[in-house]
Amino acid sequence: MTPVVRMSGVTHSFGALAALESVDFEVATGSVYALVGENGAGKTTLMRVLYGALRPDAGTIEVEGVERKWRSSADAIAHGIGMVSQHYSIIPELTCLQNLVLGAEGSFVIHGDAFRERATRLGSKMGFAFDWDAEASTLSPAGAQKLEIVKLLWRESKIMVLDEPTAMLSPADSDALYASLKQLASEGATVIVVTHRIPEVMQHCGRVTVLRGGVKVADRAVAETSAHELAELIVGHSVSRSPQGAADPGEPMLEVSGLVVKGERKDDALKGASFVVRSGEVVGLAGVDGNGQRELFHALVGTLPAAGGTVLLGGSDVTRVRSRDRFVRGVRLIPEDRHEEGVVEDWSLVDNAALGLQHVPPLINGVWADLARRQALALRVADRFKTKHQGLHRSMRSLSGGNQQRFVAARALELDPRVILAFQPTRGLDIDGTAQVYASLREAARGGAGVLVVSFDLDELLENCDRTIVIHAGRVHEPTPGQGHDRQAIGRLMVGAS
Amino acid sequence: MKAFGWKQVALTVAAFGFVALTLIAVGVMPGEAAMELVRGSMGTKNAWNETLKLTTPLLIAGLAVFIALRAGLFNIGAEGQLLVGGLCGTVVALNVEGVLGTVLACLAGLVAGGLWALPAGLIKAYRNGHEVITTIMLNNIAAALVAGLVAGPLRQEGMSTSTEVVAESTWLPSLYENVPFRLNIALVGALLLVWGVAVWIKRTVAGYELSATGANPKAAATAGVEVKRVTVRAMTVSGALSGLAGAVQVLAYEHNFYVGFSSGFGFDALGVALLAGGSPWGAIPSALLFGALSKGTTSIQVLGVPKGLSGILLGVIIIVFAAYRYRRVKSHD
Repeated sequence: MTPVVRMSGVTHSFGALAALESVDFEVATGSVYALVGENGAGKTTLMRVLYGALRPDAGTIEVEGVERKWRSSADAIAHGIGMVSQHYSIIPELTCLQNLVLGAEGSFVIHGDAFRERATRLGSKMGFAFDWDAEASTLSPAGAQKLEIVKLLWRESKIMVLDEPTAMLSPADSDALYASLKQLASEGATVIVVTHRIPEVMQHCGRVTVLRGGVKVADRAVAETSAHELAELIVGHSVSRSPQGAADPGEPMLEVSGLVVKGERKDDALKGASFVVRSGEVVGLAGVDGNGQRELFHALVGTLPAAGGTVLLGGSDVTRVRSRDRFVRGVRLIPEDRHEEGVVEDWSLVDNAALGLQHVPPLINGVWADLARRQALALRVADRFKTKHQGLHRSMRSLSGGNQQRFVAARALELDPRVILAFQPTRGLDIDGTAQVYASLREAARGGAGVLVVSFDLDELLENCDRTIVIHAGRVHEPTPGQGHDRQAIGRLMVGAS
Repeated sequence: MKAFGWKQVALTVAAFGFVALTLIAVGVMPGEAAMELVRGSMGTKNAWNETLKLTTPLLIAGLAVFIALRAGLFNIGAEGQLLVGGLCGTVVALNVEGVLGTVLACLAGLVAGGLWALPAGLIKAYRNGHEVITTIMLNNIAAALVAGLVAGPLRQEGMSTSTEVVAESTWLPSLYENVPFRLNIALVGALLLVWGVAVWIKRTVAGYELSATGANPKAAATAGVEVKRVTVRAMTVSGALSGLAGAVQVLAYEHNFYVGFSSGFGFDALGVALLAGGSPWGAIPSALLFGALSKGTTSIQVLGVPKGLSGILLGVIIIVFAAYRYRRVKSHD
């Protein structure tokens, strides 16, 4: 059978950096196809070449046996190729229907009823139901992902590329998504999923291609490989898991009791959360996105006020203490959104090293900032996870996303942390980077800190944390004793079933 | 920053071409006009005297706008703050003589300018009202207010729209005289102010937090910076410096306050700050350029070039510069 997509000898460079070197990639229809690899392995670059967003330096693209040279993405779209990027392109202020047809209206006049009818038909074919006239801001991450898929159908895409589609989804939503993708594939569509989650590949995909350092290293039927082999192929050497169950937990470092926090819509986003993180332990906070994780974090950092309850830091009440003084007392943060909250991209690495630590001695001396110590700090931060950079005085922008995340994670381990709050600390990191970050969080815990990790990836938490607690609908639940590592039991708590 | 590409060169050539065509359109040879412009602004002792007299308020007000810009705020209100500061400084100087009067008048300029900018800062921080709109409105109020006061209660006998002249003992003195050239202490003070602002931004934690607020307010807030307070403070300090520029202009050069005493220093200060780029030191050449151009274009009027040309020239410079800058900003993606 001829493959639907055949890319041969694709080479692409960004300046001096070769992102892809003579990669061959073939996809047939019928099953969900996985493309895996570390950050910077070239997965997204390869898909952007296929989608016409990048022009390759060399190599050819054949679609259904015909060689194509895309002039632009519009060209690729017109030939049935669709892509959902990692960051959804949903505009929250528009309605779901407006988002659906945006850029593909097909006429100068909006035919509301006809559009709605076709939209509903496409949605119900996949088993999705939308309130088409509701604002897209009301969609859950899973809903937004579904809308993106219907967008591809609207554009009559036959070849669909999804970049990390489950990054924001709960396990149940991920399973549902793959069920839809398998349905599409069985109906003749070609589905390519870019992912770094090996369990998903093993469970749902038919074939898998592994990229490493811009080169294709393997191409296997999933049935003929194993999770272990894939992990080795991706990293290029065997992966060691971070050691678990460190020393016995000590004194409580972070005690939260009855914490109430108002959300954006003035409702209680956090409805009396209580839990303890002790010195020496790494605690995972599992939960589906949007259950109060964000508000909890802001309240712990001090950027959102507590409407009720208390937060104790090393035994002393900090509920009314302002944010900067919490940093001075040892709170460290790996924020959720690196671009928006974690770094100043225009600044040098040196100046970014002090961000959040600017009032922490010895970086401050009276009113003066100690620039020599800031420089030394930046050097340590960059070295800890081997952040790849071209000089500490170059801007943060010159770093890749994964390297920025390494820098931000390393910064949170500096200057004697007592409580480390990590929100999706491995977002955008590859297997090695993830292992490094958790190893360091554990090291900090061994040094006496208490660590709280929020992630939407339950497997990551179960694998790396001493224990996992669950947040659902603004309340924190502890799994019953003995079920602390029971995936099913925790999964039930995450959706509010017991 | 990347080296000049051909696009930048083309842009610069196009800009100069535009100015040259404008000159030819009014019947003047561009080369001749350029010569006269340089001679008129820097060719003689008198020319230098006048250029520096214009440079001083441009430098101080330019720094004021620079600080606001550093915090992510467009202080379009420098002109109004300068007028209010100038008038309040004059009133104090008319009532207290000597060095004490000079110091108090400068303080009055600082306080008045700061208070005039404060509402814009508060509205921005706590009501999310855009500072460009509020400062423009405050400019209009300031202009009408000082005009009313100068034409009314503060009017000098026999004059229509100016105050009494400040006693000579209260003037800011010249440090060096070679008549007609005078180097006033005000310019030296302004240069020291540049140094102070540069040190403050680079070496203090408050300066660090100000820059963080301007560069990425969300990241700043996440890092424990009290963004609302920083916003109010930056706007107030910016207004205070603009007010100081007005007071200093009276004490050093004008010696009384009258309607039209500012030739739009506060507006040109926006250009000075934009052209200064990322460092307060950049405000020095930029203020000097603006001062020289305003003086120079006055002197090429003898060639039949209308005075409005300085506006065109400055406009072209700012647009070219903004095009460079915003190209860089856009290349983020």
